[in-house]
Amino acid sequence: MMLEHILVLSAYLFSIGIYGLITSRNMVRALMCLELILNAVNINFLKGNIFSIFVIAIAAAEASIGSAIVSSIYRNRKSTRINQSTLLNK
Amino acid sequence: MKSISIYLSLILHRTDLLGPIHNFLLVFLGSSLILGSLGMVLLTNPIYSALSLGLVLVCISLFYILSNSHFVAAAQLFIYVGAINVLILFAVMFMNGSEYYKDFNLWTIGNGLTSLVCTSILVSLITTILDTSWYGIIWTTRSNQIIEQDLLSNSQQIGIHLAIDFFLPFEFISIILLVALIGAIVVARQ
Repeated sequence: MMLEHILVLSAYLFSIGIYGLITSRNMVRALMCLELILNAVNINFLKGNIFSIFVIAIAAAEASIGSAIVSSIYRNRKSTRINQSTLLNK
Repeated sequence: MKSISIYLSLILHRTDLLGPIHNFLLVFLGSSLILGSLGMVLLTNPIYSALSLGLVLVCISLFYILSNSHFVAAAQLFIYVGAINVLILFAVMFMNGSEYYKDFNLWTIGNGLTSLVCTSILVSLITTILDTSWYGIIWTTRSNQIIEQDLLSNSQQIGIHLAIDFFLPFEFISIILLVALIGAIVVARQ
């Protein structure tokens, strides 16, 4: 019973993360929803073995590089909206 | 933390309260997880949503304690809550706050379509989970695990897996972390 509860909760977190990732107009909120998706996948590995540790390490590396990219984009464009990439087509 | 949970489980075995406390903790953590994730996606203030992400990560760490994996729970608490959540809060506070109040969360057609797709994904996943017989799958994959697994603690199991089966991914993960560190510093500096 506990196994299925955890799997259902992980599926719920995954779908909420996908919804937040697609409908967020802000880059930092998209990064947060990406972390939520990775956590939902991580809690699927019951008998928390070594693969959960690898997923945590990869998520840490990706969060650091993601926030560095977001801060450099903010420094260049002064705005963090996601749909501003069409500015290259001027 | 491991000794505290072992002590607690010994006490609760004597007073025969382990099952109800497990159930109560499961329901409590599940409801706080549901509310925290909804708050993270739907709140407009980004600092509030970053703090509810912290709540979600702490609840997931407590789920790991309930599943008897103490090392992963401690690693989750240190790395996710202590490092990644703080990094996200730095990133949120670094951006200029004056443009957020013009950015109201209007319910567009894209939002409705995405919520429909996500609800269908959730319903299909839940029906797949509830229809699979998990105990048959778990019993047939017991052959490739460590012998005397129940006598070892979770950190010892992870140590055995890391040294024998997953030695090469361990080295690659260290290289990935080094590259990520150097890359983040190079990208984010002035």
